[in-house]
Amino acid sequence: MTITYRRHPDLRLAALEGEGVVLHLGSRKYFTVSETGVTLLELLAEPRGLDQLVAGLVERYEVDPARAERSVRAFLDRCRAAGLLLETGS
Amino acid sequence: MTPSALRLSCGDPAVAAAVRAWLDALTLEPPAPVTLEISVGRPAADPPRAPTFAQPHLSLWTDARGARLTWDGAPAEAVLPGVEPVARVTLSAQAVDRLDDCCRIFLLGVVILLLRRVGWHHVHAATAVDPNGRGWLFAGNALAGKSTTAAWCATRGWAVGTDDTAFLASAADNVDVVAARGPLALRDGGNALLSRADGTPLPSRGKTGYRPEDLGGRWVPRVRPEIVAFASVGAAGGGTAIGSIGARETLAALVRWSAWVLFEPSLADEHLGLLARLAAQARSLRLTLGPDLFAPGDRLMELVP
Repeated sequence: MTITYRRHPDLRLAALEGEGVVLHLGSRKYFTVSETGVTLLELLAEPRGLDQLVAGLVERYEVDPARAERSVRAFLDRCRAAGLLLETGS
Repeated sequence: MTPSALRLSCGDPAVAAAVRAWLDALTLEPPAPVTLEISVGRPAADPPRAPTFAQPHLSLWTDARGARLTWDGAPAEAVLPGVEPVARVTLSAQAVDRLDDCCRIFLLGVVILLLRRVGWHHVHAATAVDPNGRGWLFAGNALAGKSTTAAWCATRGWAVGTDDTAFLASAADNVDVVAARGPLALRDGGNALLSRADGTPLPSRGKTGYRPEDLGGRWVPRVRPEIVAFASVGAAGGGTAIGSIGARETLAALVRWSAWVLFEPSLADEHLGLLARLAAQARSLRLTLGPDLFAPGDRLMELVP
């Protein structure tokens, strides 16, 4: 099964010097995010699979794919816990 | 005289006169008219769901249909449909009996929600312009020392806009901050630090009010911040100090001090965008306030030349 991820529609993102702040209008919470997190949340404006997110980081930061995948998985876990993510399985 | 862009309709002449005077004293001229429609009667019951946001004295419900604000001091409600710049306010007789507090606490909240609808977004902060012409915004919680710092600025000849209620306004490529005029309201501790006892008593607040002009400064309605200072009172025995703060932390802190209105869904993007632009425009610093601030001289200009 392929899982795709998309950021929650109630989420608002403001980026500043690469880093950013995310508002969740539904839960009325806000979070700070790193430069990598901003990149991933921008990618997650559209539905993306894990591979696409990893490829996005590799292309942007020239990191090795294994390290990028660890970062993406950790970020998705944090987003999932904060309710910032929608997941669709197909 | 130009008609105020803060429009008021109210069938009760006494309430209308008092609210009109209060609105005029705020000295706000928003970029487009906003309207308060006030009636005296029985406010509707609260919705069955929890408020979107509750802060001391005020509860706010927001959704795609607009906003509803209530006051805990006496029955009073304001309904703002969608993003129209109109607030339909119902004040109970008890609220009318406390009209000064009702204006200062509840109707100010209504005005804050109204001004969002014409592009001015609230930030809980003090504003000033230093002797070098640099705009400052002092943010922090209710006990962070904003009012005392604003009053101190006036004693050093700075121009001061507000100690508490300000609005972010887009100005071409910049963000300006507009002040709602009101007394710089000091607690007894602030009076003592400034060695003042000659302000106007504000008994319902347990404070003393000063105009910037009373303290040697002047009033400034609009500031373009070059410096955003997050103020806090330091530990006993410590001195006034500054520290750096990163862009992400700056934006998060600005969000924190705007949170009660920021989450209104239809206007969140615009408000968040202005906060991000302000954070990018200004140098940000942590300001720890110590008693040496009140020694002769201008300690802030020494620390941030």
